[in-house]
Amino acid sequence: MPRARWIVMIALLLVAATVGVAVGTISLTPAEVWNALRGSADAMPTLVVRALRLPRVVLAALIGAALGMSGAALQGTMRNPLAEPYLLGVSGGAAVGAVIATSLGLNPALLPIAAFAGAIAAVLAAFFVAHAAGARGDPRVLLMAGVVVGAFANAAIMVALANAPVNAVRSAVWWMMGSVADASWQQIGILLAYTTVGGSLLLLFGRQIDVLALGEDAAAGLGLDVDRAIRRVFFTASLLAAATVAAAGLIGFVGLVVPHIVRAAGQQRHRSLLAGSALTGATLVVIADLLARVVAPPAELPLGAVTALIGVPFFLVKLRRLA
Amino acid sequence: MIRFEDVAVRYAGAANDAVGGVSLEAPRAAITAVVGPNGSGKSTLVRALIRRLPLRRGAIRVDGGDVAGLPRDALARRVAVVTQREELAFPIRVDEYVALGRFPHLGIWHAVAQRDRDALGEAMRMSGVDALAARRVDALSGGEWQRVRLARALAQGGDAVVLDEPTAFLDVAHEMGVFELLSRLARDGKAVLLVSHQLNLVARFADHIVLLHQGCVAAAGSPADVMQAAVLERVYD
Amino acid sequence: MRAFRSTLTIAFSVAACRGAPPSVHADVRDDFGNAVDIGQTRRRIVSLNPTTTEILFAIGAGDRLVGRTQYDIFPDSAKRVTSLGPGIRPNVEAVLGVRPDLVVLYASTDNKPAADRLRQAGIAVVGFKIDRIEQFRRVTRLLGRLTGDSLRADSVVDTVSATLVRVRAATATLPHPTVFVHAWAKPVIAIAGGSFMTELLEIAGGRNIYDSIGAPSATVTLEDVVARNPEYVLANPLEAKRMRETPSWQAVPAVRRGRILVYDTSLVARPSVQLGAAARSLAELLHPGALR
Repeated sequence: MPRARWIVMIALLLVAATVGVAVGTISLTPAEVWNALRGSADAMPTLVVRALRLPRVVLAALIGAALGMSGAALQGTMRNPLAEPYLLGVSGGAAVGAVIATSLGLNPALLPIAAFAGAIAAVLAAFFVAHAAGARGDPRVLLMAGVVVGAFANAAIMVALANAPVNAVRSAVWWMMGSVADASWQQIGILLAYTTVGGSLLLLFGRQIDVLALGEDAAAGLGLDVDRAIRRVFFTASLLAAATVAAAGLIGFVGLVVPHIVRAAGQQRHRSLLAGSALTGATLVVIADLLARVVAPPAELPLGAVTALIGVPFFLVKLRRLA
Repeated sequence: MIRFEDVAVRYAGAANDAVGGVSLEAPRAAITAVVGPNGSGKSTLVRALIRRLPLRRGAIRVDGGDVAGLPRDALARRVAVVTQREELAFPIRVDEYVALGRFPHLGIWHAVAQRDRDALGEAMRMSGVDALAARRVDALSGGEWQRVRLARALAQGGDAVVLDEPTAFLDVAHEMGVFELLSRLARDGKAVLLVSHQLNLVARFADHIVLLHQGCVAAAGSPADVMQAAVLERVYD
Repeated sequence: MRAFRSTLTIAFSVAACRGAPPSVHADVRDDFGNAVDIGQTRRRIVSLNPTTTEILFAIGAGDRLVGRTQYDIFPDSAKRVTSLGPGIRPNVEAVLGVRPDLVVLYASTDNKPAADRLRQAGIAVVGFKIDRIEQFRRVTRLLGRLTGDSLRADSVVDTVSATLVRVRAATATLPHPTVFVHAWAKPVIAIAGGSFMTELLEIAGGRNIYDSIGAPSATVTLEDVVARNPEYVLANPLEAKRMRETPSWQAVPAVRRGRILVYDTSLVARPSVQLGAAARSLAELLHPGALR
């Protein structure tokens, strides 16, 4: 891809991040932001920038990168433009983990762990169901297994919420709407590890995804162990999605929409598509978080609500193209 | 070069074998055609060759070596397969598409070497699609698309090309063009194994014909032997 | 002159004996907007609200209680009353099962369906929303009339009011530090101007940074709290501990400096008969020693 496009994507991300750090309940000029980062400003802007805004923006960027890559990998592997990172029951499983943790009144610090455990359990359950059905790598069977697991998870969530105290329900619902308001450097460290490892693996699989995109028989004819490759991509992409859910709750549509944007900008090969999706996803979520903070002061909208709104124009555009 | 030895394949949940004990050979420098009515097991043989279906019985050998024992990329470097249909969910450029043919030759880092680029150029030229390099695959006509798919198979290199219905959806002129290209490949020393229902052109171009009926070999031999009314009527009723 | 004055005195004392102002039965409505029939004295009362349960015990009607919610644990003797489950969206069957002649509910929209069904079953239902101290006074007096002992209810109200007046006087001349009253962490919810806690805070010599918002609580953001920079943060023990352990809350200077005031949840969490003691406890937190 022409170098110019990469520069534009990186520049957009940097601009979005700067605006994200500068703007909020207390607005700062870029100069004040710079001083705050270096620690030479008055106490209050430094505090706001370092302890509140910077972690949020960094976390938002990581989430966007992880979800963008996950979505791009899954869409190519499934040869389905509507595939998205929560495919294998990741969102349902994570929500079950989180709802159980809140209903039991556990320490909120354990919530991300419960959500992650739930997500991984759901993915493994989906693989197990597919295996039991006799097709270990067939993406359609995996998809159906994911739907089964997701349906079960939704039922479990409803049962848990029906019997939970009011406060637990509020906490659970707020978590499910997604937010980076509680970003901490520790969370960021963990997500960074997952995104780096998972992202690198997906980049490594990039050419394999190109080949898978031709269809399973054609891919097999080119020497790819199709079932194994599909399992590996699914698992890595789901791991990335689970890590984002553990960090910030359910943030939908990013993994679905970002690969389309990058493809429309001319990216075809999955290696560059994945890298471009990481950058574009990061930019998108940073902007979404900014909107969540400034649209309805003094309260803040859940991040998942803002990203869900992205889905609307996206599907409208796709609909017009079909008709 | 490619030999099927008493190969039997059954689809999961089926009552009968799709292919029940087929033996055939596709030698180098020749066009071997597998013909037969729908459902006779032709495509099943191809899918078994690329290991998408498990064998109930028998073995498939490439240059004497059992296919099941070969690493997949090694097999792909020797045998290029063009399947019956391909639907790309995301349309890409022709040159990108043909370049995917080099996948079995790429190392773990998937880095592209000069010989890959050479093979790419050569393949596109032989198939006559080098002028289409910058076009998107969804902007091609049926004939152009088939030739591009052939180019990808050629880029894959190897000593054998296996094609499943390469002239479906093509008009007569393009069909001739494809068969002429296959003849050239055979003359250059490749083993060409072809599944087709186009009996006329098969009769004209193939060196050996294998006629399948309900998963078994009904007749095999030169076109003169197989393309006889009595033989064909038994199978195509 | 003396005859006139003695007539007036007699007139007033007669009125005082009756224990209530003359214009009584006319137009008393509960917080659902329904008329309250004060005519009958109620003997079997279900109270689905910790505040009203405590009030009923304080005005001497505790022995008439036949049902409470699982959360009504003040005073101690309340625990002997049958628990009927939750107070929001109550179990109507369980309530009917104890055959009450009066049900006292929290007047929220969630409870309207239950209130309507109980009324259809022929039971008197009153809904009260007690967010401010004045509402506590009104409800206590009303419950006094419903249970036939207005004198006792009035004396409860007067005792509480007297304590509040004393506490306010003791802190009136002291500087009133700004306070953020923490209600919930995810999302960040603050107690705001419409709540009795804000009134208590003011009486105790402090000022809620969100007192300009009319609702009892408000959803805000951490950044907003940082911007308003309160001198203290007031929270319950569990939330106080979590705030100290959460890195993002360290952005609030009061949290960083350890100026978190922890209130006694058994006293401060409800606008009931302990309001006086609650105000005293808050004053002790904000201005130690001021009440002596």
